[in-house]
Amino acid sequence: MKRPPMLVHVKIRGERRGFNLWIPIFLLLPLALAVFIIVAPLILIAIPIFWPSGWRKRALHIFGAVFEIICSMRGIKVDMQSDHDYVYISAV
Amino acid sequence: MDENKKKILEMLAENKISTDEAYRLLSVLEPEGSTSEGTPKAGTAARMKSKYLRVCVLPGSEHEHGGKGDRVNIRVPMALIRSGMKFTSLLPPEARDKVTGALREKGIDFDMRNLKPEDLDELLEALSDLEVDVASSDGETVKVFVE
Repeated sequence: MKRPPMLVHVKIRGERRGFNLWIPIFLLLPLALAVFIIVAPLILIAIPIFWPSGWRKRALHIFGAVFEIICSMRGIKVDMQSDHDYVYISAV
Repeated sequence: MDENKKKILEMLAENKISTDEAYRLLSVLEPEGSTSEGTPKAGTAARMKSKYLRVCVLPGSEHEHGGKGDRVNIRVPMALIRSGMKFTSLLPPEARDKVTGALREKGIDFDMRNLKPEDLDELLEALSDLEVDVASSDGETVKVFVE
């Protein structure tokens, strides 16, 4: 089963300052679910309005594709280092 | 033992590189050993298991000792490439025509409308064989491979 990344680690260090950030995606998922529940009635209203234009099918496909892209980001790692700067992004 | 691996371990023992750097360098060397020793069947199995596209840029030896030079280590999941390519099928026809036109202007005769899911699988399977290894005159190396 596909699931989105649970944690995103972003570490950026410049010549003078930098930051190290752990983003707990798993904590944001319940929040996203709550937003989806709030928006659901609006979606239900929009579906019959946009039904004849064919946008329903496209919107569903786009939603599915975006979710698939987010899920497949698990394991991505970007680690770049120059003389003064350092960028590290990782999704687990 | 492979000469390159031996050199990396020696550098680690002399504290010239960290364990993380040594691991990174060894992982860059890993596919070379596996393809030369493996049977064709094992190679196919490895291709099926390939999960990541790796891009590594390592500085030249003179920079390496001084701890300077640009280093890049990027790991992109193959699933992300697959999903991204599937996403192209959702592009509106006008945008697709624009992309095709822009590619044609650059001399690339490629129509995105002809890209079918079965072609996508074939393309990604072919990508598993990809291996780019570029070494510049100052010793900087660029490696692109699938693991």
